[in-house]
Amino acid sequence: MNLMGLQDGQYRPLSPEQIETVHEASLKILEKTGITYEQGLEDTVQLLEDNGAAIDRDKKNIKFSKDMIAEQVARAPEKVVLCGQNPKNDLHLTENRVHLGTGGAAIKILDPKTGKVRSTTLKDLYDVSRLVDQLDNIHFLVRPCIATDIDKADYDINMFYACLAASSKHVMAGVNDEQGLHNVIEMASMIAGGPDKLAEKPFISVITSFAISPLKLCTQSTHIMQEANRNRIPVALSSAPMAGSTSPLTMAGTLAQLHAEQLAGITICQLTRPGAPLLYGGIPGMANLKTMGYSGGAVECGMMNASIHQLSNHIKVPNYNSAGLSDSKVPDAQAGYEKAFTVLLASMGGANYIHHSAGMLESMLTIAHEQFVIDDEIIGNACKVLKGIDIDAEHLALEVIDSVGPGGNFMTSPHTMAHMRKEYYNGNGVTDRKSREKWEQDGSLDIRQRALAMAKKLLAGPKPSHIPEEIDKEIKEKFNILL
Amino acid sequence: MTDFNEIKETLVNLDEQRLIELVNEALEKDIPPGDILNKGLIAGMDIVGEKMENEDMFIPEVLMAAKAMSKGVEILKPLLSDKETQTRGSVIIGTVKGDLHDIGKNLVAMMMESAGLTVHNLGVDIAPEEFVRMIKEKNAGILCLSALLTTTMPMMKQTIDAVVESGLRDQVKIMVGGAPVTQAFADDIGADAFASDAGSAAKSAKALVA
Repeated sequence: MNLMGLQDGQYRPLSPEQIETVHEASLKILEKTGITYEQGLEDTVQLLEDNGAAIDRDKKNIKFSKDMIAEQVARAPEKVVLCGQNPKNDLHLTENRVHLGTGGAAIKILDPKTGKVRSTTLKDLYDVSRLVDQLDNIHFLVRPCIATDIDKADYDINMFYACLAASSKHVMAGVNDEQGLHNVIEMASMIAGGPDKLAEKPFISVITSFAISPLKLCTQSTHIMQEANRNRIPVALSSAPMAGSTSPLTMAGTLAQLHAEQLAGITICQLTRPGAPLLYGGIPGMANLKTMGYSGGAVECGMMNASIHQLSNHIKVPNYNSAGLSDSKVPDAQAGYEKAFTVLLASMGGANYIHHSAGMLESMLTIAHEQFVIDDEIIGNACKVLKGIDIDAEHLALEVIDSVGPGGNFMTSPHTMAHMRKEYYNGNGVTDRKSREKWEQDGSLDIRQRALAMAKKLLAGPKPSHIPEEIDKEIKEKFNILL
Repeated sequence: MTDFNEIKETLVNLDEQRLIELVNEALEKDIPPGDILNKGLIAGMDIVGEKMENEDMFIPEVLMAAKAMSKGVEILKPLLSDKETQTRGSVIIGTVKGDLHDIGKNLVAMMMESAGLTVHNLGVDIAPEEFVRMIKEKNAGILCLSALLTTTMPMMKQTIDAVVESGLRDQVKIMVGGAPVTQAFADDIGADAFASDAGSAAKSAKALVA
């Protein structure tokens, strides 16, 4: 059942007037308060000044006029196509088309053999990328964990290599520095058949956390973002304030500040290269005020992530955001309901590229094989909701009702045969709907055990590399590939 | 006022105005300023620290308590003898090179200050050499390293290695913390202590210099 890229917009936390109010508030922030920047961004600041921004170099402050923002934001493409190495995995991001996939940079995994938590390795990244490749409802692969067992110098190239070898879905990740970015682009160009072909069908993209909330440009990530713009590689403009610590405690204030950060980031990209493909990357989050940690599983994260899509849609830029996190440490009932709430809300809000949606536990710190399988099922259910209910002659089935007649049954009707595999979401196999008797006969397995068994089976299958053999050889000659 | 319960309670209840009144009243009754500080204010902050550790208080409330406490200390400071102003220890704290996160680190600094330690907060993105230089300059007894990013955690080890090479390792106790940091990681890189939150960091720092 293909449930990718469905249009929606059933959940609208903000009214049209409220969207306008927040948008105006964001423009006011950029005009009155402005943003600040770290050392080393002189060229970027000069670029902004040359195009109308008011700069106070002593105070390190940049202010933007409404007109400047409007002019630059209008240049950002309304539609961004993020490709897979296999074209069936291409994502057409625009309007309210919904896609969900993995995300994060977890450092821990619940070991699939022992169940105990341990550090993630490059092999783990490869394994979970293979799972993602085979789980149909996960639409893209943002590297969900980092390899804690390799040197920083080898890090960027190996992250992307492991993902591209294991999966033909779109691959997105952050990079540590510009050198890392150049290496990754070079490797992807080798696979694509040259930089032009890569730009034409970008099967990789880069997360650039250009903003340190509140309202501060990070030098390293801004440089990476602009360099990706120049190389025609799509970027996701990640900024992720936490309500109560790095943005106002209130949801409205958090949305206004975050939208302002995004408008500034989009402006920088469009000045760097007009028409640069990018995703609005506002990720509204919440601080746990008892610890100042991240409350990923809060239902308000779902509400705010639906709202932020409304704001990106207002300026006609496709968006990247977050849902499907849980603060639980294991795949339990809490993980299930927290994930289901936020995934459903963000999906029903029409968000275009929802990451963090599969595999994560303990907010963004831990992954588990079984969680990818369970979350694939949660995403499938959420996307099914987007499909809605077809009302037409065929689906109303008046003729069938008439021919079966009062008191009959529909079990063997050709109409049932024709629709039974399409009308309902049939699941990936992890959900238990057996009788208790049958369930006991099969070993009384709970969801975690069933999901783990499915993951094991998926990983036991063949391991085709998605990188052609010849090119793989060249890549290994050129770069220090550790997989 | 022979016990300091009212001061402690007022601090825990975040009533800054009343706290200042109580400190002034105590001084009028000739209660030694050192007692007001140690048995009243610092003891009150110990309770706040415990409540923070048990998640009975929101962090913004803890910040209010620390602010109220420092107002009280301002009144007492000119009246304390040299011996009394000698703090329990000198702490160098900073976020390691490559990492720009500072909220948690600043919380730790504040809780340690409230616990009576002298804290030199170096800020974020601090190179190992700079930590070493400041340990020497401030004759520090404790070094606290913070990292939030999984990619900057290795810099904690490099910083500790630099301290070892500088020959200062025996002089300082090293504490590490930050969201991804664990006790096992702390043990691995040769730190003396790990704390999972600001309240327990302050408690553990006091124990290290006791």
